[in-house]
Amino acid sequence: MENNEKSALRQLWDTFFSKAWPLWVGGILLAFLNVLLFLIRSPWGGSGTYMSWGENLYQKIGLLGLHDITPVILHPYGLLGTLTLLGAFAGALMGRDFAVRIPPVGEMVKGFIGGALMALGATLGIGCTIGGFLSGWAALSGGAIVLAVGFLIGTFIALKYLFWEMEKFPNFSMGKSFTWFSAKGSSGVWQPILGVILTLVILIGFSLRFSADNVFAMFAITGLIIGIILQRSRFCIVRAFREPFMTGESEAPVAVMAALAVGILGFTVIKYMGVGTSTPGAARALAMTWVYPNFWLKALLGGTIFGMGMTIAGGCAVGTIWRAGEGHVKLWCSALGFLLIAPISKKFIVPAFSNMMPEWAKQKLFLPDHLGYWGALLLFFVLLVGWYAFVKWNEKTGKFSAI
Amino acid sequence: MDFNVDKTVDCKGLSCPMPILRLTKEMKSLDSGQVLELLGTDPGSKSDIPGWCEKTGNECLGQEEDGGVFKFYIRKA
Repeated sequence: MENNEKSALRQLWDTFFSKAWPLWVGGILLAFLNVLLFLIRSPWGGSGTYMSWGENLYQKIGLLGLHDITPVILHPYGLLGTLTLLGAFAGALMGRDFAVRIPPVGEMVKGFIGGALMALGATLGIGCTIGGFLSGWAALSGGAIVLAVGFLIGTFIALKYLFWEMEKFPNFSMGKSFTWFSAKGSSGVWQPILGVILTLVILIGFSLRFSADNVFAMFAITGLIIGIILQRSRFCIVRAFREPFMTGESEAPVAVMAALAVGILGFTVIKYMGVGTSTPGAARALAMTWVYPNFWLKALLGGTIFGMGMTIAGGCAVGTIWRAGEGHVKLWCSALGFLLIAPISKKFIVPAFSNMMPEWAKQKLFLPDHLGYWGALLLFFVLLVGWYAFVKWNEKTGKFSAI
Repeated sequence: MDFNVDKTVDCKGLSCPMPILRLTKEMKSLDSGQVLELLGTDPGSKSDIPGWCEKTGNECLGQEEDGGVFKFYIRKA
């Protein structure tokens, strides 16, 4: 009896932690949590985390003249991303995937440059692959569609660069590498044990810390769960944009489409119904949530720069966070580049850049204002079906695949 | 192992997408039937490499794990 119970529990554990979850499962779960975040306070975003980390760092060391910066733990996206990092770390431990993986120096340089480009792109174009794209499409924002076009262009350019680098400078990505603290055989059991302890400590610790603030308590717990889901499913938006040009496989794009479909439906219901609002003004403010003034050139330029950065780094803002939690030092460098450059870009580059841009290049475009809610939904439905048809056709024919 | 390894590609420390890019490049230098051994440490490779083999028609002869290092054996089609 006891053995049967043990074996059932073992099976349950193995279901979640012995191998990676299907990507589309990750996509649907993450989109569901994104809808919850919107209901709790505001939608999921990635780049705000780096801004919070970076501004706190600069304030601490007395650079950039920053004052009165909200501490990371009291900033909703600082908190969310930090807990996502911890969740990914815990998920990697529980799945015995964690190890400190130090790549050759050239890879670390590329990680840093990729992170810096993402910081530039996210601040110029307003948003990353999560806040700008995944949440942006769900928010029925026209700028979010253009941002995705930018990601596609940037990914293509950076992929061409990676191929070129490998042919012309193959030694750049080669050299000494080190792997520490991996789970080796039965002696690696410390990883799942530590992972469970860490998860419990975080859950209890943050529940107590925010016992008087339900919103931050929910953001903390949701961030932790998002981290675990990201790591276990290896959900990656870079792959969704990159694979059609690289291997041609459609698994990652389809997982992102699943996330978009769930997010669009959830956000639309919240916006259309004006959930939680009691005045027309509040309902309008809710409807305009995550609709940024970036349509169209601003989003296109920012998205292209961000797309280049995420492809060179090997992870977008959130992809960098979960891979950093799994121990990839290249992505630690990417996170460093992102958090160091984001505040600089926000303070010095974005104001100058925005002043140069004419008004037509940075509009707030809420699609239901022009197409109605049904028209906007139909547009996204056509985009998703068209994208699906393209990746499946390309998977079969390899027309756009470089390898 | 009932095959000989003709070439070893060291991707230890590299993360996505570099192992797949290196694999693609190095496979070009092999003749049909030759076997490539790829060493990696990225957990994503556990599904990426067999998926790449399926997609490209090359044969994934097997994978092992030894002290945090994943080893993949691929026969060129």
